[in-house]
Amino acid sequence: MITLNKNYKEKIKLRIEPIGKDLDVIKGTPLIDKLFEYGIEFPCGGKGLCGGCKVKLLSGDVKNHEQYKELNCKLGLDSDFRLACNSELIEDTTIEIPQLESLILADNTAFTFTPLVGFGIAIDIGTTTIVAQLVDLSSSQVLGVQTSRNPQSRFGSDIMSRILHGLTTAGSDELKKLIREETYSLIKLLLNSKDINLKKIVLVGNSVMHHLFCGLDVQPLSMFPFATTNNESIEYSPVELDWELSSEVKIIFVRPISSFIGSDIYAGIIASGMDKHTQLTALIDLGTNGEIVVGSSDRMVCASTAAGPAFEGATIHMGMSAMSGAISSVNNNDTRIDYHVIGNQDALGICGSGLIDAVSVFLQNGSVDAGGTIVDEKEKLRIGDRVFLTQKDVREFQLAKGALAAGLQILVDKLCKSLDDITHIFIAGGFGNFINLSNVTRLGMIEVDQSKITKLGNSALIGAKMLLFTDDYSLENSISKIEHISLDSDENFQDIFVNKMFFNNYISNDIADE
Amino acid sequence: MNELLNKLAVAIARGKVNQKSPFPPDMKGEFGADELTKQALEESVAPAAILNDGLMIGMKTVGDKFESGKAFIPDMLIAAKAMNVAMVHLKPFFDSGEVELKGDFILGTVAGDLHDIGKNIVRMVLTGNGWNVIDLGTDVKPEQFIETLKEYPNAVIGMSALLTTTMMQMETTTTAIKEVSPDTKIYIGGAPISQEFSDKIGADGYFPDPNKFAKHLASVV
Repeated sequence: MITLNKNYKEKIKLRIEPIGKDLDVIKGTPLIDKLFEYGIEFPCGGKGLCGGCKVKLLSGDVKNHEQYKELNCKLGLDSDFRLACNSELIEDTTIEIPQLESLILADNTAFTFTPLVGFGIAIDIGTTTIVAQLVDLSSSQVLGVQTSRNPQSRFGSDIMSRILHGLTTAGSDELKKLIREETYSLIKLLLNSKDINLKKIVLVGNSVMHHLFCGLDVQPLSMFPFATTNNESIEYSPVELDWELSSEVKIIFVRPISSFIGSDIYAGIIASGMDKHTQLTALIDLGTNGEIVVGSSDRMVCASTAAGPAFEGATIHMGMSAMSGAISSVNNNDTRIDYHVIGNQDALGICGSGLIDAVSVFLQNGSVDAGGTIVDEKEKLRIGDRVFLTQKDVREFQLAKGALAAGLQILVDKLCKSLDDITHIFIAGGFGNFINLSNVTRLGMIEVDQSKITKLGNSALIGAKMLLFTDDYSLENSISKIEHISLDSDENFQDIFVNKMFFNNYISNDIADE
Repeated sequence: MNELLNKLAVAIARGKVNQKSPFPPDMKGEFGADELTKQALEESVAPAAILNDGLMIGMKTVGDKFESGKAFIPDMLIAAKAMNVAMVHLKPFFDSGEVELKGDFILGTVAGDLHDIGKNIVRMVLTGNGWNVIDLGTDVKPEQFIETLKEYPNAVIGMSALLTTTMMQMETTTTAIKEVSPDTKIYIGGAPISQEFSDKIGADGYFPDPNKFAKHLASVV
């Protein structure tokens, strides 16, 4: 064990490849601290469970907890890999990390509005990513976009680990401070020292993000019956947030509709216009919490599904986010499998869009049967030289797509409608932009005709931009129309879920083969 | 052993529910758990034999695969479906006492938690192993466990939690139950749980998969 003497601060050198960044670091610094600012994800919250923060040692060594060899073995990592979450810097070291770029989730979609004077900033506080847009309120033109990783992610990528950390006063204060500071730094970048007439900042986010930003008690959100402490839109002056902006700037964090439906989903609803349609439409967010909304202008039902983590790569053996090195699309080309790697480099893993394509390809070429079983059980499903899917990966995909399809089915059932009654489905979320819709429908992830599906991009940000042009943040007219359904407590859920795990569109092929 | 029961075991392990079920694709048109159980009863095979040499063997096959990482949650859920249809035919013989069960098992997901898929898999495995499982569902308060225990005083208790925020409820519930019935065995399971946690809260054990748990129960009862 290393003990840190606070008075003695010996410096060592850390070099990060492939970006060639050199850092002077105090000996004994946890590697997690240095890497976090470069956007490295810690999907399990730095507990050494998932292997998502692996780095390759090119020279030097780091100090690990004693169990690291056992962990490396369990995670199938070579001896020159270390988990950043479990490493202390003790000597001059060079490491290589599997990529750093993140996606810009901005948009410039047109919508109808009443022109106002001045400028506004619309911000989507996501569980994983924060995106902020500077908007000219006279034209609704987007003048600038800034994005960054939610700094709270170091306490875990899922919402439950955030809540857990926020249960203590100290933890809650820490999360509040982190998110407020990060948001302010994005605002400063957007303003870029320019003296413009900033009038308003509108923030949207899920209920937990709302509570953590506003410093509200998250305890009621931690367990059934999952209540909010305060579900009002909260208005701040800059000084209340320690933001150095003109005192005239109004800052509003828009209220959650209910404990499960945050203002990000509300923003998605208005961005898609589904609250204006008299016919049945649906909004599906393929992000971390997998929210689905179905309904029309008079009534909407909403649920969250556990579909997110598989599509974000968290539960897939070689899964990763949509970053450089990720296989993002796969095609069957007669005799061989073609694939695209983000950044045109060697494939390091596979992201959600690639996973969907790959499963589809392996069903088509008969490597996987309609029940999801790999036909030759000794074989892995190879995509490239280094990347493959295992039987467990296919099963994880089935769980995710089963949850998604079952969620949509149960919501439609609640409205006493059928899937055929849906006239339009909007796909939200950054990941949604990259998916191949014909595979999505063929695999039964979304069981409607492909022609009815539209990719909407970052609908929460579009909606937040629209909310810059209103003055009523009580949302009273909408709230009574949107109802949350708990899928867990639906007695038919498990049955429908199991039925939707299969690849029903491939059954006829199996019969034809016989 | 009876050829029919071998077929039933395969139908359970592979999740072949009934003849018209298209899954698994390579068993298309064959009898499923539904028809095979009915047929066995019609041919006067003893219900206890159907349970022991059919359902239990099938469950063990898929459970062993799950334990060794060759089968996954979906495989267990699909087997559970087949198991449930077979149980419909056998239930009257359990209710009448004709089939002697291993004992009573009270099962539930703790207060504040609505996850039940893991718990349902445990129910299926234990039922298939000859336990009378009393499933209290999800969001089960300590009092509900205690009330049910009065009705089944010799029962073993199993608790599930999937949230890091609700696993703390296991401690409250365990303490409450042990206070009124110190000898009652309490076992816990769920994604965030560990043996250390079980020791810390005074439960009698943690098992990462239902098959291991069923084997353990068989060894202590």
